[in-house]
Amino acid sequence: MDPIRDHMLAMTRRHFFKAGALGLGVPALTSLMPGAVRAANSTLTTGSAALGGLPDLPHFAPKAKRAIYLFMAGAPCQMDLLDYKPKMDEMYDKDLPESIRQGQRLTTMTSGQKRFPIAPSKFKFEQCGQSGAWVSELLPYHKKMVDDISIIRTVHTEAINHDPAITYICTGHQLPGKASLGSWLSYGLGTENANLPSFVVMTPTWTGRKDAQALYNRLWGSGFLASKYQGVSLRRSGDPVLFLSNPDGVDSTTRRRMLDSLAKLNQQTYDAVADPETQARISQYEMAFRMQSSVPELMDMSGESKATLDMYGPDVEKEGTFARSALLARRMAERGVRFVQIFHRGWDQHGNVAGDLPKQTHDIDQPAWALVQDLKQRGMLDETLVIWGGEFGRTIYSQGGLSHENYGRDHHPRCFSIWMAGGGIKGGVVHGETDDFSYNIVKDPVHIRDLNATILHQLGIDHERFTYKFQGLDQRLTGVEHAEPVHAIIKS
Amino acid sequence: MMTKRSVPVVVAASLTLMIAPAVRAGLEGGQGAGGVKSIEFNRDIRPILSNYCFHCHGPSAHDRKAKLRLDTMDGAYKDLGGYAAVVPGKPADSELIARITAKNPDDLMPPPKEKKTMKPEEIELLRQWIKRGGQYEGHWAFVAPTADELPKVSNAAWAKTPIDRYIMARLDAEGLTPSEQADRHTLVRRVTFDLTGLPPTPEEVEAFVKDKSPNAYEKLVDRLLASPRFGEHVGRYWLDAVRYGDTHGLHLDNYREMWPYRDWVINAFNANMPFDQFVTEQLAGDLLPNPTRDQLVASGFNRCNITTSEGGSIAEEVYVRNVVDRVDTYGTIFMGMTVGCSRCHDHKFDPFTMKDYYSLFAFFNNLDANPLDGNKKDHPPVIKVPTPEQQQQLDDTQAELSRIDEEIKQKLAAVKYTEPANPTEVTVPQPTEMVWIDDDTPAGANLQGNTPWKFITKTDGPVFSGEKASTRTAKGLSQHFFTDAKEPLTLGKGDTLFAYVYLDPKDPPKEIMLQWNDGKWEHRAYWGGNVIPWGGDKSPSRLPMGELPKTGKWVRLEVDAQKVGLNPGAKVNGWAFTQHDGTVYWDKAGIITTPAHPQKFDSLAMWQKYFRGLDKPVLPKDIDAIVKLEDDKRTPEQVKKMTEYFVENVWTETSDEFQKMHAKRDQLEKKTDGIEKGFATTLIFKERKDIKDAFMLERGEYDKKGEKVDRQTPAFLPPMNPNLPHDRLGLAKWTTDPANPLTARVTVNRFWQQCFGVGIVKTSEDFGSQGQWPSHPELLDYLAVSFVKSGWDVKALLKSIVMSATYQQASKATPSLLAKDPENRLLARGPRFRLDAEMLRDQALALSGLLVEKMGGPSVKPPQPSGLWQAVGYSSSNTAHFKADTGDDKVHRRSVYTFWKRTSPPPQMTTFDAPDRESCTVRRERTNTPLQALLLMNDPQFVEASRAFAERVMHEVGDDPVARAAHMFHLATARQPSAIELETLVATYRDHLATYTRDIEGAAKLVTVGESKSDEKLDVSQLAAWTMVANLVLNLDEVLNKG
Repeated sequence: MDPIRDHMLAMTRRHFFKAGALGLGVPALTSLMPGAVRAANSTLTTGSAALGGLPDLPHFAPKAKRAIYLFMAGAPCQMDLLDYKPKMDEMYDKDLPESIRQGQRLTTMTSGQKRFPIAPSKFKFEQCGQSGAWVSELLPYHKKMVDDISIIRTVHTEAINHDPAITYICTGHQLPGKASLGSWLSYGLGTENANLPSFVVMTPTWTGRKDAQALYNRLWGSGFLASKYQGVSLRRSGDPVLFLSNPDGVDSTTRRRMLDSLAKLNQQTYDAVADPETQARISQYEMAFRMQSSVPELMDMSGESKATLDMYGPDVEKEGTFARSALLARRMAERGVRFVQIFHRGWDQHGNVAGDLPKQTHDIDQPAWALVQDLKQRGMLDETLVIWGGEFGRTIYSQGGLSHENYGRDHHPRCFSIWMAGGGIKGGVVHGETDDFSYNIVKDPVHIRDLNATILHQLGIDHERFTYKFQGLDQRLTGVEHAEPVHAIIKS
Repeated sequence: MMTKRSVPVVVAASLTLMIAPAVRAGLEGGQGAGGVKSIEFNRDIRPILSNYCFHCHGPSAHDRKAKLRLDTMDGAYKDLGGYAAVVPGKPADSELIARITAKNPDDLMPPPKEKKTMKPEEIELLRQWIKRGGQYEGHWAFVAPTADELPKVSNAAWAKTPIDRYIMARLDAEGLTPSEQADRHTLVRRVTFDLTGLPPTPEEVEAFVKDKSPNAYEKLVDRLLASPRFGEHVGRYWLDAVRYGDTHGLHLDNYREMWPYRDWVINAFNANMPFDQFVTEQLAGDLLPNPTRDQLVASGFNRCNITTSEGGSIAEEVYVRNVVDRVDTYGTIFMGMTVGCSRCHDHKFDPFTMKDYYSLFAFFNNLDANPLDGNKKDHPPVIKVPTPEQQQQLDDTQAELSRIDEEIKQKLAAVKYTEPANPTEVTVPQPTEMVWIDDDTPAGANLQGNTPWKFITKTDGPVFSGEKASTRTAKGLSQHFFTDAKEPLTLGKGDTLFAYVYLDPKDPPKEIMLQWNDGKWEHRAYWGGNVIPWGGDKSPSRLPMGELPKTGKWVRLEVDAQKVGLNPGAKVNGWAFTQHDGTVYWDKAGIITTPAHPQKFDSLAMWQKYFRGLDKPVLPKDIDAIVKLEDDKRTPEQVKKMTEYFVENVWTETSDEFQKMHAKRDQLEKKTDGIEKGFATTLIFKERKDIKDAFMLERGEYDKKGEKVDRQTPAFLPPMNPNLPHDRLGLAKWTTDPANPLTARVTVNRFWQQCFGVGIVKTSEDFGSQGQWPSHPELLDYLAVSFVKSGWDVKALLKSIVMSATYQQASKATPSLLAKDPENRLLARGPRFRLDAEMLRDQALALSGLLVEKMGGPSVKPPQPSGLWQAVGYSSSNTAHFKADTGDDKVHRRSVYTFWKRTSPPPQMTTFDAPDRESCTVRRERTNTPLQALLLMNDPQFVEASRAFAERVMHEVGDDPVARAAHMFHLATARQPSAIELETLVATYRDHLATYTRDIEGAAKLVTVGESKSDEKLDVSQLAAWTMVANLVLNLDEVLNKG
């Protein structure tokens, strides 16, 4: 901040106010605020410079300008989706060998089980695309895009319960209090569109297991960073952004009238006490007013072509679905929202994999594919990073009753599968290998820290240099232990 | 008292040396305000070394490279083989300088791979420091504060209080002068907010403005300090620090009943409890001798941490996590240090070792509780906390009970028992077998089973009694059973259930089980395998009876009814014969029971005879024992006791009368139970009987135990007095010992931060070497020393702050002052900053007259947008669905009473930087965002407050828009509007009025927003127009700020 310059600028504005009439509108006011001009005029902002953010960021030329994270909360069964384990068919109902389990700790939901009978995936797999990646029949649309994505089968974590695990992957720490990935990005990179939040979260409906794991505001919270960096969670119904709409009986003209007087009186206050925060407040009220039109515009799907809507599937017509959220994510990406995170719940298949997992995959398969295709068609995939994955994996052995028709799977932190696409990520790569049981990693482990380092890397950030001093420490999203981007999946 | 021990040597490095302006500018960013005139090791040098060097050359022995440490003078001066890192006075000979300026990347420090590059001005500063002697000082915060002579200042008339002397001394040094005193309107609003969190009423403004007495301001301050609103406001900051919430915070995030602790905090501040006592009762209320209920409630401080009961959690892992949270919270609140780093390794910047961490951990390692909260609101240990009304009710009932007991006693004393001449003869009954099932099932029985019941006769197989037996052949689990018997079995004391069974020797089962239904099938006994999983093993719902009976013969099975949970009075209506595998035959089943005994006797002798012969515990134990004694073996007391029992309960002559009194007593006891059930509970701390061993945990992991550690305070601080107990009580005493250099400093800094927006140490959570240098170190010490001297008097401390001329300055900034001191750390002007979330909402409620000042009680749920809880909540959580409360006394309470769901806190609070209360927070950010603007303009509660504010003004002032606008403005700002302000408000009103005269429907909609009803007598267009003006006023920068 340059107080003197700001003061001089404010003086100019004061003269303007003195000279001007009461009904001063947005354009006149914003013309005096360099930061806001671009914002006021911005529609599709691809390529425009950032507002806010740190001066030394990005550290290097970014591959991705923004990211969309499709988070599968509850932990998908990797061996039923992307980590094909054909040898398990012969091992049906045999005990998981001790040589594989190696006495590693289990959750207390199955640590009391007398047996750990192997449950081979009941779903058929097929090799797809040029890369020949194996994909389950539960993901027919994913089969069509294996050459667009990099699959990592060897992501791992230490946490074995949902709350600590999801907090860990989203904030870099198992205990609450740290900043989330998206808030780090808002803090570091700022926004490309001042009329929309830079970090948006959606929590769509799901159709699998009803008794779904909880989410927590901390997953998109700002922790030790200022709260303005926290994710704005769009509501499924009502005002998408909290308190966006004027109260009943107040139309936009009336609100504008009130805001004109407010700006004028606040300017008086600024003249009297010269607090720079007062000026900031004047511009925040103006931005609030602009959001009252920019957010409804964002949410309005009427301009989308039938072809686009069809691509996302029939669910896109329903408010609050994953399909609708995926399309909204693309619209946000177009408008310069830095980071969009969609938390799809219901992936905690302790039992009834046969019943619930197909419902879950049906929710997300086509929309996730559509999002990647849609971005590609619009020439945005190269600069938009898309990530799909959960907080940990699941066990090859069955929790509870096992039959050929149905089984359950407990939590498994030692390996799970995710995929990434766009934003400088190679297509058609399958990275990392797990053993025949999808239990231990055989080759190329990727810790969740490495995953987060990769995301930051694609956005032009060196995770080691991206720090924030709090409680006497240089806090990092990737924590204190070593982390490294996954170079094998990154386009050179 | 702490024993004195030498603290790190302090070498007063009073080098006064002017540094080039460029250097100074470089320091301003990180090092507090103003220019730097001299080099002070702690202020100027330590942060550089700490930031760039300590990671590898600091306190952590584990991470230390090249055996060099730069955090101590000895380390820096050490001969490294003909050279040293620091050679005092000789930068050119100092290896430190050579390395930080090296051209060769292999030599350069910090190593390029660390990605930390020293700035040229920092290098220059190090060079200058070595040139001037390279002196070290112990870290300032670890040396006990002392209050030296007050500094000399240029204007003693202004600097009336000690605080002002310190502030002015720095202003003098910076060439600045203080601002004039704020006008009285500003002052009364400022201080009312700071001490009560609410705006002043117009009467309060008026009274102060007109008070010509010289101590008018002091009277105002004293009145505010005495207000019950004080504790509600000041306590709120503490609730952030202790991470108070109304849910458990993790996983299900279910309701936690903890509000009595919140009320305790508020009451403690209102009562001005000395802060050392405040600390002690919270850290160790349960360890105080004969702790009061309040002291136990206070011990809930250490139970405010988030907890989980997530399925699959490993109890010990959760246990350790809970303790870690307590240690970290203790560190932040009392030491102002991030001790958490040392959970895995020695602190890299401060002398806090991993051993220190786990020694502190050991103090908190002894909670007598399941670490998993069970998703229950009253996760034990808890204490019941009646409200004063409930306590009164309870006391009244107890008194009545005592009266009845006394009445019974007197009546008993008055009765004289005489043995009748012709007593009624009695015979002692014997327990007898009562068959319930034989050849047939009882009347009304509804027969069920995996397959239908099958009876066989002797020609088909074994039969024990009568004509038939029932049988079943099973693979796996199978059974036949009935329910709904018309005449249930009524159980008495000592009853035994029995059945006959025959196991096929060729096809024996793995297990057999009998089950009984008294409304629920929760009474089971089994023989053999334990493969039937129902109920809880080794409990009345699955009682093991041993091996399977011998096969090929009829065996009688007997089960003590009470052992399977069928207590006297239970009525069994169903019976199940269950087996796993095999072929089993069942026959004759029933109960061995004693027929009901007579209730009344006309003779004591007969009564004794009867019960002497009865081998069944019907009488109370002590009475039964006396009855069973030989006549001559009884003492007179025993005879008296027995006789009284007889007279009171059994004798035909008197017992009816007593029975009436008993009935009354039963009723009162039931009432007592009811009252007690209504009591709130709150989580408290309770020590285990034995001390749980504590260990160093490798990399902080619960299952990687290292060296065993004792309860010890950190080694780098003055030690604990050896006479103190090594428990939390000892820790509390050590914490509040005047020799402790941290507690008082850290505490006064937080109170300062409340009033001025920024602490004297800006990083109020970190007083370690990575924290910021205090803007006024001597002032901080002065405040800390006088705080302790005053007996830790919080109100006196706050009074001394708000009575200072510094605090009372006008807050107007000038461009040059803004340029020199943008954050107002030097305090050449008064504080001005945005009100906290709670104050903003409370202000709107207060100005509009909606505020309900009721104190304490369960947290309330004012409206919030729908779906916020549902979007995140676990589906089966009891806080998955938000339902707003209704009624003024719920929705219009102060925000400190708002229900805090930790995984989704109220948006009205978090939008304005309130923390989620999941972890300890001692400093809130203050942001300025468009989402805040939307909330203040559109949140129904703020819209409702606008309307009520408008109504208030319309009621209080006649139908003159100018007068009304002036009144509204005055209420909100405590001052009269300027002409242009007034003109703007009135013009806005007229425009809105024109709009709402055209749009009556819109006006009607606007004025119906919210819980309270609008006044229908008011003109709706006018009311709507004033509502919009009130909405404007409640959004004014001046109203959102404390200026």
